[in-house]
Amino acid sequence: MKLELRGITKRFGSMTANSNVNLVVKPGEIHCLLGENGAGKSTLMNILYGMLTPDEGQILVNDEIVTIRDPKDAVAHGIGMVHQHFMLIPVFDVADNVILGSEPVKPWPVIDYKTAIAELLVLAEKYGFEIDPRATVENLPIGTQQRVEILKALSHDASVLILDEPTAVLTPQETDAFMVILRSLKESGKSIIFITHKLREVLEIADVITVMRLGEIVGVTTPSETDERGLATMMVGREVNLVVDKNPATPGDVVLDVKDLFVEDERGLTSVKGISFEVRAGEILAVAGVQGNGQTELVEALTGMRRPSGGEVILNNVNLHGESVRKFLDAGIGHVPEDRQRFGLVLSLSISDNLVLDQLDDPKFHNRFGRNLKAIKLNGEQLRKEFDIRSQSAEEPVGALSGGNQQKVVMARELSRELKILICSQPTRGLDVGSIEFMHRQIVAIRDSGVAVIIVSSELDEVVALGDRIAVLFDGEIQDIVPPSTSREDLGLLMAGAHSREVSA
Amino acid sequence: MATVSKEIVTLSNIRVVSRARSLAYGIALMVLGAIEILWYGGASSKLNTIVQLGYNTATVMPAVGAVWRIALLLIGGGITYLAIKPQTLASFAKAITTVRGLRSVAAIVGAYLVIWPVLLWAGVNHGGQLRTFSLPVATTGYVLGAVSIATGVLMAWRRVDRSASGLLYGGLIVFMLGFLIWVARGSLPLQLTGILASAVAVSTFLIFGSVSGTLCERAGVVNIAIEGQFMAGALSSVVFVSVFHGSGMSKTLALLLAGLFGALFGWVLAVMALRYQANQVIVGVVIVAFCTAMSQFLMTQVLDVHQNLNGSFGLPVWSVPVLSKIPVLGPVLFDQNVLVFFAFAVVIISSFVLFRTRWGLRVRSVGEKPIASETVGIDVIRMRYSAVIIGGFVAGIGGAGFTLGPGSSFNYGMTSGYGYIALAIMIFGRWRPYGALMASLLFGFTIALSANLNLYLGQLVIPQQFISALPYVITILVVSGVVGRIRPPAADGVPFQRN
Repeated sequence: MKLELRGITKRFGSMTANSNVNLVVKPGEIHCLLGENGAGKSTLMNILYGMLTPDEGQILVNDEIVTIRDPKDAVAHGIGMVHQHFMLIPVFDVADNVILGSEPVKPWPVIDYKTAIAELLVLAEKYGFEIDPRATVENLPIGTQQRVEILKALSHDASVLILDEPTAVLTPQETDAFMVILRSLKESGKSIIFITHKLREVLEIADVITVMRLGEIVGVTTPSETDERGLATMMVGREVNLVVDKNPATPGDVVLDVKDLFVEDERGLTSVKGISFEVRAGEILAVAGVQGNGQTELVEALTGMRRPSGGEVILNNVNLHGESVRKFLDAGIGHVPEDRQRFGLVLSLSISDNLVLDQLDDPKFHNRFGRNLKAIKLNGEQLRKEFDIRSQSAEEPVGALSGGNQQKVVMARELSRELKILICSQPTRGLDVGSIEFMHRQIVAIRDSGVAVIIVSSELDEVVALGDRIAVLFDGEIQDIVPPSTSREDLGLLMAGAHSREVSA
Repeated sequence: MATVSKEIVTLSNIRVVSRARSLAYGIALMVLGAIEILWYGGASSKLNTIVQLGYNTATVMPAVGAVWRIALLLIGGGITYLAIKPQTLASFAKAITTVRGLRSVAAIVGAYLVIWPVLLWAGVNHGGQLRTFSLPVATTGYVLGAVSIATGVLMAWRRVDRSASGLLYGGLIVFMLGFLIWVARGSLPLQLTGILASAVAVSTFLIFGSVSGTLCERAGVVNIAIEGQFMAGALSSVVFVSVFHGSGMSKTLALLLAGLFGALFGWVLAVMALRYQANQVIVGVVIVAFCTAMSQFLMTQVLDVHQNLNGSFGLPVWSVPVLSKIPVLGPVLFDQNVLVFFAFAVVIISSFVLFRTRWGLRVRSVGEKPIASETVGIDVIRMRYSAVIIGGFVAGIGGAGFTLGPGSSFNYGMTSGYGYIALAIMIFGRWRPYGALMASLLFGFTIALSANLNLYLGQLVIPQQFISALPYVITILVVSGVVGRIRPPAADGVPFQRN
């Protein structure tokens, strides 16, 4: 099926998310849509899938103009989408998720599961997926959930598949398996629109690469015509430094000593299972692993947000187990949380207020009546300049800032205190290349000033670039702590649960 | 090649949780047993309690000779064994529901054939009537206590995975029975079957209410307005029947009218909550306030003046042939007014509809993750509308259970908060119609109990008000999550808006 977007424009208020976008996807083609966060890729695809209505422009299927008002129309025209955040219902089983919205009934209105499951199995076999139709989706590994999403789209006879950042949640090995699936889909004649910001994958799989920046298409190319550097320059609009400049670490004394730490998640399941490690002053310990292997709970335990069910967290020889978050902060722990909008910031408050959220009991920021507004404002302006937070003033609400600038606010606040250790969880998630560069420089600088740093990230590139040592987390346990020179393949195996011995063997 | 990462939620993880629960439940059972021994066992050893099993004279267990008894025992045992033996269970697990239903029927028939001769030998059928038993109170206390403690120890020690909560509920029921035997010691006989039958009767409106709540919340809308829908149904049905002087047809139509009034307020809730995105709880409370005021107004201004509009007309009582003659079970389940059977039917139908039909799957999907339903072309708002209106219809019929069910006239305030209790029951029943049924019966039992205990006021050492407060205490315990971890529909009460 040939798909064409002609002159698509979409505005949100004064912001133009897509401006006169033209795109042609040929049958049986893997078309990569590359761009930074906020470049307008997702908006464009949501328009194509009927989740948003364009202000201007047309969509053509096989050279005929079609109107797509809602996802139903899109599905009817053979367009399927695998969303970045899966559109699966966690408590339903695989079969229910796949048939939802187009359930076979016999007799009406009773769902004919026999037919449904038979069809599902035929489809799964055709594309080589191994799947249990009666397994509950939330118990499946992420990679399998993704296959369920793909099956769902295929079961609606999609001939164009939109895949929105499909590899963001996969281990390197799962990504390899995913690439195999993509190729087999291509061979069966499906067109694929593959949205990503990972340059390596684009070069590996794409037939055609379209690069977007600030809502516009800035270039169309093919893997043979370009390389990572060229793509990155196109994406950002200037030369980008893809590697982090840093000198070898000079580790000092042990700052944080974690012994036999057990943490339970909110369902009461043990998600951190007896972890021990230590972090020294002036080094970066990077914690790698696929999302959901205990990283969130580990970080929450290390920052006092969650009380561990067992073990010790010793900071500079003081056991902080079971203490309040306040005590953790006072002991010199800085925390850049995973979900900055939920835990890092109060979105409706101004930048300067957010910059002193945890320091209001500092005599600098309060007088006998309450907050010292003058000092807070001054501090805000100062840090805004220092950290290059892009806004009109420091009195703007944080919610109005872009993701990168919000993260800068969090970072600025944490670094404005006297720190012994900085714990950053997914420090660059959702940030553009320019902001990532800035964050990485900040993190290396704080390390060089003699602070211990823990980076938790599911981006392998980031882990390798920043870490002086890499701890790989799988199923709540540290598989191994390895040097950053370890090959990506070995790291991937560790992330998938293999132990060091097996990897080197 | 691809290595698929291991499941994060492993079975062993889940087991650990339920084992911890088993320990807690086991300890709870042991405490119950200790109370039974100390409290009931402490009664004077000479006191007896007379337990009356039935009030219907004929039973479907005719007295037969010893040969027949043995034959029945063998046949029944054989059927039961075939129906529940593990291999059969395994092979049936893959089969469709009707066959599974057949298996249950076979098991029930088999069990009945076994129980028949056993009861005859036990001498239950005494001279054509169900005989009464005389139980020594203290000994009963010791025996129940010992059994409870033994079960508790076993649970705490062996850590059963699945049946823990079932055993605890069993223990609670035994505890209640022990209490009944203790409180009715001496003079008056204990009308066991009578209490159970009235328990089922009073749980009618609770069943309707909690199923209504289940339907709405499965679609992601909190229906706090059940109390108001009860009032509307109770009032409208009684006025309608009174106008037609209680003719047979008018009763059927009155039930329909009660449902329509409930549906009307369901629709109001849906419009406010879905179209105007108002806070669902607040809209619900406002609807209840409106219905309260409206029913008070109609009561004082219309019904008190024209008393012929507020008559007492009961729905007909159905005695199911054969089944209603089973000792104890018969009068409790199969000799009730029509509405009780409707309530059972509503449970069966709504469970089937929710879990087997297209509409049910879609309703559950919009209650879990509406955005996902939207992407496969389901109209979220329309699904929610339909669920809330149907839920309101069910609650409205439940309202008729206050007036037409027991055959009383409308009284201002007669719903006395049961609409809210229905929501607690829905939580207790874990958002499933069958769960709602079981929880409703439990609540109905405590309500019937506190009503029947009036008879034994002299022997009750604790104030009767404590017993009357029991349903509400249970409600608080249920809502605060004491009954275990419960998981509501993920999008429950969350408004949905298309971009």
